[in-house]
Amino acid sequence: MHELSIALSVLDIVKSAAADAGLSRVDTVRLRIGKATGVLPEALHFAFDCSKAGTPAAGAALEIEEVPIGGHCGTCGRDFTSPEPYVLACPLCGGGAFRITTGDELAVLDLEGEP
Amino acid sequence: MKVKVVTNILKANARIADENRRALCGRGITTLNLMSSPGAGKTTLLARTIRDLGARVRFGVIEGDIQGTHDAEVIAALGVPVIQINTAGGCHLDANMVQSVLPELPLEAIDVLVIENVGNLVCPAEFDLGEDAKVMLLSITEGDDKPLKYPRMFRECEALLVNKVDLAPHLDVSLGKIRADALALNPALQVFEVSARSGAGLEAWYAWLGGKLKG
Repeated sequence: MHELSIALSVLDIVKSAAADAGLSRVDTVRLRIGKATGVLPEALHFAFDCSKAGTPAAGAALEIEEVPIGGHCGTCGRDFTSPEPYVLACPLCGGGAFRITTGDELAVLDLEGEP
Repeated sequence: MKVKVVTNILKANARIADENRRALCGRGITTLNLMSSPGAGKTTLLARTIRDLGARVRFGVIEGDIQGTHDAEVIAALGVPVIQINTAGGCHLDANMVQSVLPELPLEAIDVLVIENVGNLVCPAEFDLGEDAKVMLLSITEGDDKPLKYPRMFRECEALLVNKVDLAPHLDVSLGKIRADALALNPALQVFEVSARSGAGLEAWYAWLGGKLKG
């Protein structure tokens, strides 16, 4: 459900960035979204498509770059990535002394369009 | 033409949340964002906490609900300043909604502001409101599988109240599993096993809350 709030925030950022860069039409919006944010890319695509009418991004496609959860384990000293939406133990050695380093990303990276 | 943006999507919310935090901290107010599923006992816990501590601590409350004023009426009956926000379908409160009602509260006469979020274990965890701490309730009737199904909220909170422990004899639920899974997700989490109805376990919660006071 919160994907709608996120889609509206994306459109606010896109409108402002397009105005700053003098773009009248936005064709592509690229996002980076970490797996730990709980944001569902499919739901976000749907919310974006429902909300973009009447904005410079009315015809824009959304491209989402997903980032898996990654961390560094203090027990085995190695860096890891995990396909899971959360990590309870180091997937390499099972140790609990790890810190999460990636997966919380939620950003607009760039947009492409025409003046 | 390609335009670099690299902007956090929740930046606007984060900026307003920081304004709220500054405004509230500047007045010495401790602000808690109270979250849970619908029916976990947020309002019952809050009413009990106000009754037990109200002589020593001045509370203020913001109630977030999809519709209706039931919760605000329960709190208002205790003589505590309360503002109801109806999200009209929205699944969470955001910083802007909180900011818009702050002028309606007597902030100079509040020590602890509790923001009771919309009942939902998912979305509220993502939106900073400007609180000092996120606190969540999980009632044991919801089942001991919830920490692993809704990890984000358990990771974001400072304190977890496991509520309705008076019902434990009637349920096939493991308090130990709730505690172990929640702590695996968030080793720094403070876990309190309580019954807001019977009062069991509330002293430890009150001690934690007392430690958060700024006055």
